[in-house]
Amino acid sequence: MKDIQHLLRVAVIFAAAIVGFLGIRHLLVPESFGKYGHYRAASVDEIAALPMRYAGEDACKRCHSQQAAEKAKSSHKRIACESCHGALLAHADNPRSDVKPRRPKEAEMRAFCGRCHARSVSKPAKFPQIDLAAHNPDAPCNMCHQPHQPM
Amino acid sequence: MRKFTRSQFLKTAVGAAFVAATKAFAAPLEAADKFFREPPWKRKKPYWGYAIDVTKCIGCGRCADACKNENDVPREPFYFRTWVERYILRRSGEVQVESPNGGIDPWSDIQDPETVTRSFFVPKLCNHCEHSPCVQVCPVGATFKSEDGVVLVDQKYCIGCRYCIQACPYGSRYFHPVKHVADKCTLCYHRIKRGQKTACVECCPTGARMFGDLSDPNSAISRFYEYEPTQVLKAHIGTEPKVVYKGITKEVR
Repeated sequence: MKDIQHLLRVAVIFAAAIVGFLGIRHLLVPESFGKYGHYRAASVDEIAALPMRYAGEDACKRCHSQQAAEKAKSSHKRIACESCHGALLAHADNPRSDVKPRRPKEAEMRAFCGRCHARSVSKPAKFPQIDLAAHNPDAPCNMCHQPHQPM
Repeated sequence: MRKFTRSQFLKTAVGAAFVAATKAFAAPLEAADKFFREPPWKRKKPYWGYAIDVTKCIGCGRCADACKNENDVPREPFYFRTWVERYILRRSGEVQVESPNGGIDPWSDIQDPETVTRSFFVPKLCNHCEHSPCVQVCPVGATFKSEDGVVLVDQKYCIGCRYCIQACPYGSRYFHPVKHVADKCTLCYHRIKRGQKTACVECCPTGARMFGDLSDPNSAISRFYEYEPTQVLKAHIGTEPKVVYKGITKEVR
């Protein structure tokens, strides 16, 4: 009988340790941890709920259908509006907001268009490129080329 | 009737048990084998993949800029979720790689252009590996591969130990200077979940970048994976990237 008491004592200690471990684990491990794998499942939804900045071209077309139609006929047809005009979801949600489309000023224009069209051996040979220093160096690009109908 | 000795009985029983076990386990084993051999995008919908056509990239850096705008990446020139490198290969075998502010700033003029054999731009981003070293080393389970194949960081759970930044073979991660957690490309998870393109794909003017659903055999990305001559970066380390490149040379790492 005395021996069983020894065993009982150890069993009680073990049981308490296991319950304590499970309790602490329950408090520390987030609720959705392990639902899909070794991570917090809720974080997937949290990341998916982050705010966007770029509206996507469909949003632009809703108001600026004329510009979109012009662009659709030009060699710039595959370039999204926000590629040149900047991130504009705030503008699409509220056109009166402070976020305005980027429209390069005349002085910046050669550098702006040059980001794509300046000649470089690193670019694909078929891509239309000009030598910025030789191609009418003092004229802004839009004197001859309209960005929505460049050619 | 012939008398059955004990050893004969045991041999027969073991043999019968073996045959029965082989038959019973054959189907599940075959299923398990198939499960581990076939790519995951054959069984999960959607499953995101990414592709870069280097033969179309003009190095304008719009993607790197758009990524910073979309994802609140710090503007300092050390923090990038995506960036563009320019490779210059010379006749001597020398390889020069540069990336001024991740390709957002203008490229310098190429020195000694007559010795250049080839030069091209290589956009880089998180490769969303199937077997990601970063996921394997994370001690708390803060970085993981989601059900649809995107490697993400749980920034609330990240303890900022930087193991993953060390582990990434592609240098795709950085330590966020304000949040003090690891940060990386999420494949614009918040955009693709809403049916939008990623910011870099949206802003790429030449279509050099593309992404899509690999589980759809008719999607443009599946066709690109299947029919174009593509390769992945550092294939020998077995990470199985889901960013494939067309038109790169062996010098690109």
